[in-house]
Amino acid sequence: MKQFKLLMCFFVVLWILAGTAWSAPRLTIPDADFNFGFVPQHSKISHDFWLLSTGDDELKILKVVPG
Amino acid sequence: MEKTVIAVGDSSKLEIIFNTKTYKSKVTKRPKIQTNEGPPDKRVSITATITPRPDSTYPIRIKPYKLDMSQLSDKVIDKAEFTISNISEEKLDVEMITFSKELFDVELPESIGPGKTIKAVVKLKKDATDKSFEKSFTIELSDQYKSRFTVPVKRIVRNSTGKQASTRKLDIGK
Repeated sequence: MKQFKLLMCFFVVLWILAGTAWSAPRLTIPDADFNFGFVPQHSKISHDFWLLSTGDDELKILKVVPG
Repeated sequence: MEKTVIAVGDSSKLEIIFNTKTYKSKVTKRPKIQTNEGPPDKRVSITATITPRPDSTYPIRIKPYKLDMSQLSDKVIDKAEFTISNISEEKLDVEMITFSKELFDVELPESIGPGKTIKAVVKLKKDATDKSFEKSFTIELSDQYKSRFTVPVKRIVRNSTGKQASTRKLDIGK
């Protein structure tokens, strides 16, 4: 009986670890391209993009690098 | 960024600011977003056709082509008027594509007849009267190219100590 309980505990721990290992964050950007059209020189313009967290783990934005 | 940690199923807004400086013609920028998802990094893309002569665009001309709603004294400035001239030979429908809803409204006509000039106005939201910002709005026309025009909207508010509010954003084009 004790061995059976130990075995069950082992499988439960294994199941939890497997779940953690397989869960992954995922970033989805529905509209990733934006066209401003005609814009005057020497001006600042802006656009908002929506970032969606579509994985099964929390998504962390680490850095946004100008391109 | 509204937030840098996004829960499963949640979303966040990323504001990209582009300084057109002395760029000419068509420019594309592709900022990279690094996340804990790992490589390859995802990208967003912005494209702009930067015109050194905004007073000679086609099929419309917007005057002034930049709007400044700065308030540097006690006089309240909560709107900016501008005109749109249709210099083509066809009626053009005008569609709003994007603007900063939390800061201002834009009153536009639905269409402009050929050769006509109409008045339009940007009205500041009541909650935004004490805010300094540099934003823009983008319209799209119904011509064969679906031409888009973006109008910068700037507002600087000096407080009683002469300082202005500032915001933290990603600034592209430096």
